[in-house]
Amino acid sequence: MTTARAYLTGFGRYLPGPAVDNEGIAARLGGDDAVTARIRGSILASNGIRQRHYALDEQGEPTELNEELAVKALHAALDDRGIRPSDLRMLATATTLGDVLVPGFANMVHGRLGGGPMQLLSASGVCASSMAALDAVVSKVRLGDHPRGAVVASELPSRSLRQRRYDGFRAGMDAHFLRWMLSDGAGAVVVEFQPHPTRLSLRVDWIRQVSLAHDHAVCMRAGMSGDATHVGGTWQDVALADAQAAGMFVLRQDVGMLDDLAQAGIAQFEELVDIGLVDVRHLDHVICHYSTNVFRDVAFDALRRRIPSLDTDRWFSNLETRGNTGSASIFIALEEAWRTGRFQPGETVLLAVPESGRFSFAFAQLTVVAPSRPQGASS
Amino acid sequence: MTSATSTDPSTAAAGASLLERLGDVWLELEDHLAKVPVLQRLDDGTVTVEDYLRLLFNLRQQVIDGSLWIARAASNFDIDHFELRAAAIKHAEEEHRDHFLLEADYVALGGSRAELRAGRKNVGSEALSGYLFTYASRPNPAGLIGAMFIIEGLGARRAAQWAARFQEVLGLADNQVHFMTYHQEADGAHTGDMEAILTSGLIDDATADEIVRCAQVVARLYALQLEELDR
Repeated sequence: MTTARAYLTGFGRYLPGPAVDNEGIAARLGGDDAVTARIRGSILASNGIRQRHYALDEQGEPTELNEELAVKALHAALDDRGIRPSDLRMLATATTLGDVLVPGFANMVHGRLGGGPMQLLSASGVCASSMAALDAVVSKVRLGDHPRGAVVASELPSRSLRQRRYDGFRAGMDAHFLRWMLSDGAGAVVVEFQPHPTRLSLRVDWIRQVSLAHDHAVCMRAGMSGDATHVGGTWQDVALADAQAAGMFVLRQDVGMLDDLAQAGIAQFEELVDIGLVDVRHLDHVICHYSTNVFRDVAFDALRRRIPSLDTDRWFSNLETRGNTGSASIFIALEEAWRTGRFQPGETVLLAVPESGRFSFAFAQLTVVAPSRPQGASS
Repeated sequence: MTSATSTDPSTAAAGASLLERLGDVWLELEDHLAKVPVLQRLDDGTVTVEDYLRLLFNLRQQVIDGSLWIARAASNFDIDHFELRAAAIKHAEEEHRDHFLLEADYVALGGSRAELRAGRKNVGSEALSGYLFTYASRPNPAGLIGAMFIIEGLGARRAAQWAARFQEVLGLADNQVHFMTYHQEADGAHTGDMEAILTSGLIDDATADEIVRCAQVVARLYALQLEELDR
């Protein structure tokens, strides 16, 4: 069977409101008591994030829906490519939590975006759901089922990071860690079967996603108590007031597992090198989603074992200035790297997204390609 | 071109079989195809997705008529031409949904189904379609076997080559070249059926002349359809 190729031809992002520095967080999320302030300071010092965006006003009231962030990022990507929603035949969305329980996030985003009939996929999960959504659209474009689709990853965790969610129970480090790390934003890409006619494009060489949930307990969670599910024990089984009181609506991460997550991610990367999907001699750009600078340094050390001459300038991240936007982070970083002219034809771009949820890892390799307009065409 | 100097196949040459005469018509067609701009660009690797979309768009406006003129021809064969009528009825049914394959390819390339359906024939397609409907309206239009020889021959012998080359140059998926690849199999079967008719001994000399003449006209008009894209 002959398949087409898939190219990323348009890039967009949307970050709501003004950039909020570390001093501006408490006004929006609350938690201005001395103990919480100390914990916050300590977490911010280690994660290295200096600025982020929230879809909250200065009083902490919501200003936008998650689906609105997604649509604005999509419009930015479509404008970047010079096409309209009606040109899309598929839309895949990724988010950790949509605005509503039902229907799917992609359905709500399509409804707000407009355009014509199209195939939808709502990928759920956490950070790597963006790569699952990308893989779906890329696969359908390669099959020739659709000439053009879009992928958007969008997160609006801020409203559930506000003080009211944390009232009434004693939040441990597992709850604080994400509260002072996550923020809002959306990133989108356009996928087509042909390169952009007049600009550079990013050809998708491969996408790999693997879960190690068979071997690991839950690490990042909400809607359950403890790290294991049991019948009658999820947020849907108990009275909502009891679920709230038990802190079940708070996003938590078992920070004690994160070293294991980093090591497992490095092992996955090593495997990609061993089987030849990644050629370390031709690894021009690396865009890795990580939650804190601590994990960047762990990753650098691991890469140096394979690439002693690793040039860390080739490693792009905007975590410090755009925050950790979960599934959206990888596209928000890719968009900025793209827009700021880092890429040259023939270079490779490795995307890497570890997801703590229950240990999954997604990687993709892109190659920068020249415009499609053939040289020496007779007309 | 050497074939331009060969004997005119429309007049029965002593000893030349019907298949040999149709073979000469085919060579004339090949000469014309070699001068079609979009096929030249396909050959030299400068063809674009837009070229392929325009080609499908133009073909569609005539393909949509395919089963209609064959069905009209079928209705004009009397009982003495029962076998030809049976073949035409079967063929019309098989061609009946062809344009949907073409539409699916067109849409899979990013084209608009509504625009495709709202399209008009180019001047070559107008001439080709007009000729075929007129011919099919005659009593016992056996000459149309010559039309089928050309049109089915293009499907069986050339379309799959074009599809493979479009895939090679433009990086297309199989799902974007269904119409042209399908015809390799479908029209291959049809040309097999047709060769059985042509060599059956049921065709008299006058009918053979009609078949060859019709093939000649259709070959020229088909090439014209490819030359006159969007005009």
